Amino acid sequence: MSLLKVHRATMQFGGLKALSDFSLDVAQGDLQGLIGPNGAGKTTAFNVMTGVYRPTSGAVVVDGERMNGRLPHQVNRAGLARTFQNIRLFKELTALDNVKVACLADDRPPSSPFSRARIDGLRRQGRFAPAHALDAWGNYLDWWRALFLTSGYRADEAHIEERALRLLDVMGLAHRAGEQARNLPYGEQRRLEIARALATSPKVLLLDEPAAGMNTKEKAELMVQIRRLRDEFALGVLLIEHDMKLVMGICEQITVLDHGETIAVGTPDQVKKDPKVIEAYLGVESKELQA
Amino acid sequence: MGGVIRGLLPFAVAVPVLAALQVLTADAPFLVILSLTVGVNIVLAVSLNIVNGMTGQFSIGHAGFMAVGAYVGGVLSKVTSEYGISFLPEVVSDQVLFALSLVVGGAVAALFGFVVGLPSLRLKGDYLAIVTLGFGEIIRVVVQNTELFGKALGLSGVPARTTLFSCWLVVVVVVVVAKRIHDSSHGRALLAIREDEIAAEAMGVNTTAYKVRSFVVASFFAGVAGGVFAHYQSIVAPSSFTYVKSMEVVVMIVAGGLGSTTGAIVAAVFLTLLPEGLRSVLLAVTGDGALAQKVEQIRMPLYGLLLVVLMLLRPQGLFGTRELWDMGPFRKKRAPSPPSPLSSSASPGAAPEVVR
Repeated sequence: MSLLKVHRATMQFGGLKALSDFSLDVAQGDLQGLIGPNGAGKTTAFNVMTGVYRPTSGAVVVDGERMNGRLPHQVNRAGLARTFQNIRLFKELTALDNVKVACLADDRPPSSPFSRARIDGLRRQGRFAPAHALDAWGNYLDWWRALFLTSGYRADEAHIEERALRLLDVMGLAHRAGEQARNLPYGEQRRLEIARALATSPKVLLLDEPAAGMNTKEKAELMVQIRRLRDEFALGVLLIEHDMKLVMGICEQITVLDHGETIAVGTPDQVKKDPKVIEAYLGVESKELQA
Repeated sequence: MGGVIRGLLPFAVAVPVLAALQVLTADAPFLVILSLTVGVNIVLAVSLNIVNGMTGQFSIGHAGFMAVGAYVGGVLSKVTSEYGISFLPEVVSDQVLFALSLVVGGAVAALFGFVVGLPSLRLKGDYLAIVTLGFGEIIRVVVQNTELFGKALGLSGVPARTTLFSCWLVVVVVVVVAKRIHDSSHGRALLAIREDEIAAEAMGVNTTAYKVRSFVVASFFAGVAGGVFAHYQSIVAPSSFTYVKSMEVVVMIVAGGLGSTTGAIVAAVFLTLLPEGLRSVLLAVTGDGALAQKVEQIRMPLYGLLLVVLMLLRPQGLFGTRELWDMGPFRKKRAPSPPSPLSSSASPGAAPEVVR
């Protein structure tokens, strides 16, 4: 079943078409890649999907819900989590708190009338207004519970902490829990971003150059880890990556962008042989130069 | 239920302590007045710190919200001063009415906070500062021209009901609220907004809602502080709520360290007592009172100088974002990591436009 569907999305900034007629379909268990030369529109595509930009035309659908015009946090609640190309951690907070922020409203116990399951259920039935009201009201009550330190509140906090620690452990960062995010080495910061994204309980994970700045060994580990996450958390994964070896190594399907246009879609082998892709990456056999 | 008891514990401790202090200071009126001034400033600083320090927004119109609380609370007390609650002794009934006028004043200030905050918190950095600055001035000018509020002369005859006990109980409330917000998941969301608004939004934090909420809470307490202020001054004049007052509070939280509640408290105490200390020093040094009487004028350039020195020597403020209760013997289980030699260069609120 398709969890993330982008249908002919176009993003225009004034006269510049940063993305045109971009379509994509990510199902559970998919591991797809989005590649292209610099300035091809990959990050724009991510921003359109996650609600940072509102597409000029076309549609983004997450788990059956149309996302056009939704704010990024709403898109995130619908099940899309992302990491950033230039790491955007909460630098002054500890690694643990970074993950806890993302746990937010996700961790009301299932018995609570404001539980995520219940809100999601309403949303799936298309009853967005009550879902939203329930979420907002639960959030409001949480303030008062926090102010009075009720036992329910402390149980929730304990639950959040436990879950955050587990996620840190999954990403191999448990020993860094109390460390400020900005003091972590680069590779660990990237992994912390993934842990943070996972804490929002996504259905589809969007990774924007997860291996950038990593060394070969770290990259190899990351490849294994991404595959494991996909299976363990039943995710669909879409990643942007410049490292061809990594992309070709783990992605089952690749979409290639150039100048905002989709120039190829297919398996790594198909894409590798596609003349248009070769042209985009390596340039044309010097016909123009001779002319 | 055990949680609620623990939740009320600070008050169970504070009430008898404050009551004892009240009795002990009964024949030291100057000390009491000083402590009230300090208390009001602490409430202002700690509440503004929720917006400017924790959430990383930049509001410089706190005196406006204080004015709203002062005038609304003051008028309410004046109107109800002839009445009493029949089944209560007069002193108690006065205090109940006083508490009511504080809450109403705070609530109206909070409402203003909501109305001002909702559109303007979508703005970033300097723009919010300009809006809040404008709001503060509007309030003052409106008050100055309203008959009900006594125009430029001010609202006089507000019953003097603030006691050391009630003032400092408010201080305890605001500090406890600030700490609990800070330590809860809401606080983490606010800190996340301060650190990186775009990332916070992408992680499911409804940034606008959280910003507005922190703004409303801060406005509420500014209003309450205004009410406390009105009820010990007995006269509320528009000149008390100028831009200078707002800046004074901003200076307090910047000096204390943006984001640190205890820093705000320490700085508020220090900067409030500074003129008094200065007065004594000048009196002792010069012998006559000529210079000592000009303390109010000397104070402002001194504040400025102090800020310049502080920014040069310790740009993160006295405490940085740390709290007294996270240091030394109060330290939590997890030891905070050693501070990095690179001081933070994060400029709150100024998020870059391009998301990569």
